Amino acid sequence: MEAEVKGIAVVHQAAASTERRPGGSAREQSPSSRENGGKPGLSLIVGLLFVALLITILISVSIGAIHVPVGVIAAAILRHNPLSETQRSILLSIRLPRVFASALVGAALAIAGLMFQGLFRNPMADPYIIGASGGAAVGACVGIVFLAEWSIFGYSAAALLAFLGSVLTMAAVYYLARARGRTNSVTLLLAGFAVGTMLSNSTYIFEIFDPNPEVGHRIVAAWLHGVISVPEWKQLAVAFVLLAVGSLSAYPLMRRLNTLALGDEYAHQLGVRVETTRILIILVGSLLTAIAVSLGGLISFAGLIVPHVARLLLGPDHVRLLPVTALAGAIFLVITDTVARTLFAPTELPVGILMAFIGGPFFLYLLRKNKREYTL
Amino acid sequence: MTPILDMTNVGFRYPERPVFERVSLTLQEGNCTAFVGPNGVGKTTLLRLAAGTLKPTSGRVELQGQSPTTMSLKQRSQLVALVPQQLDISFDFTVEQIVEQGRSPYLGLLRGMLHEDRRAVDRALSLADVSGLRSRIFNELSGGERQRVKIALGLAQEPRLLLLDEPTQNLDIGRQVELIDLLHFLRDEGITILASIHDIHLVHHNFSFVHLMGPDHSLTSGTPKDVLTPERIANAFNCSLGRHPLLMEATAINSSQGLQ
Repeated sequence: MEAEVKGIAVVHQAAASTERRPGGSAREQSPSSRENGGKPGLSLIVGLLFVALLITILISVSIGAIHVPVGVIAAAILRHNPLSETQRSILLSIRLPRVFASALVGAALAIAGLMFQGLFRNPMADPYIIGASGGAAVGACVGIVFLAEWSIFGYSAAALLAFLGSVLTMAAVYYLARARGRTNSVTLLLAGFAVGTMLSNSTYIFEIFDPNPEVGHRIVAAWLHGVISVPEWKQLAVAFVLLAVGSLSAYPLMRRLNTLALGDEYAHQLGVRVETTRILIILVGSLLTAIAVSLGGLISFAGLIVPHVARLLLGPDHVRLLPVTALAGAIFLVITDTVARTLFAPTELPVGILMAFIGGPFFLYLLRKNKREYTL
Repeated sequence: MTPILDMTNVGFRYPERPVFERVSLTLQEGNCTAFVGPNGVGKTTLLRLAAGTLKPTSGRVELQGQSPTTMSLKQRSQLVALVPQQLDISFDFTVEQIVEQGRSPYLGLLRGMLHEDRRAVDRALSLADVSGLRSRIFNELSGGERQRVKIALGLAQEPRLLLLDEPTQNLDIGRQVELIDLLHFLRDEGITILASIHDIHLVHHNFSFVHLMGPDHSLTSGTPKDVLTPERIANAFNCSLGRHPLLMEATAINSSQGLQ
């Protein structure tokens, strides 16, 4: 307590001393000193994160029931030393697809979380909390239970319906929260929470109608708990392309999000088409959510934690946060999924459940700490 | 010459209550005018209508002879800036990051900040005297500091018409005088200014033109000497002559002039 009080007093003195600096010229800082002051270069951070992601993927791929040493994998890549037939088939048809899938899921959730937090002007928003994931889950369940035979590009009907479910839910939530041409963030968050909870719980009804109870139940349950599947390469490629499209279209929206932080009216005054921008953000955010849900089901909190920590470290500029959250999200989910599948080996823990155990306490910590940030 | 702002018989109502009807106001390019009136009479609404963030329910608003609704958003936002009373920022943006947003009207979908945008931001920061605060977090500033940052944000937009909603609130008397000097400096640069201000003294001594909006929403315009008579002020603000130092003083001066 005492330390806290001291801290505040020091801050005040520092503030006062900058304020009282006499003369206009003394207040001027040269632009060059400003550029270097306190802002680590974005390209350096992104570069480091990219290397970290590669290393994480390499290590995660080597871990499992049959251990394939990192050195062996590295030798196979760099010197074309052949792997044994078992190692090859484990790596190429099971582990690599799964690790890539978790990286894609992590990146997609983190960017979607960043976009929704910016849109709702609230650091508590994430695709799971505002209902996008719930909508995607209902779409996916319809696909799993009724259209199991159907697929496009290795993508089941479940994945396509997940996107549809996510977009429709977000549109519904958004219009529920609208009154007189304005959208209140608190109402939006509450509406999202209510609709999301309704939808994700309604998925249990599909079990009753399931024509094929044994198999269906297990798949639906896996979706709801967030288990990252072992996808086909074709499906991964489509997911990757969609993620790339999503992130590229997110880029120009990030600067709009910075302007929207001044409030709708001010953003409008500055020439931002507020409604159009919001709809675009919802569309791109839903697409990203659907990519994640189609590969890994319902994973809570990942989209909350990553953008939040990135914002604490780098400040709130969304343009800078976009590449950082994408890479950090990928790293975070690759690690979490590797822990989830090895912690109680040979039994796998759904990564969604592990995430709930990490994310729940983090969410509560956010609630308690620094209440200033949550005023709307 | 086409006035920069021309409002003719403008009426506005919020869904639950009417604000005013048939208000007319014209601003010639290069004027620096104050806008005075009692609380809740619709000063902020009028400024918003002028800025184009609200659409009038009746009547006509024209900026440089053009309706703001037919202008592109970009065109309008390069022409008018409104410095609001209240600015709530989500997340811990720094002062510099906030003032940079004032350049949004000049940026394209992929065109980022150029050298000239940087210069405009630096100039806005130094004119509003907040260069020293540029890396501070906006939400942690004092009321007076925030006020100056809001003005810098409006200046970064480099508007032809600058509307200010109570720009002197939260400022100490020294900063109030600096603000008035800044407004005059901007006027000399050819920027048209309309500022709603509650401090009658300040208006009296520092502005050459004033609009007074009475409780019946009627506008009286002219020099402060003609418009801000004790009787008119007492009437507009529903404050009897002997109850406020400002009015007592003014009455005293008037009566002494009468004696001579």
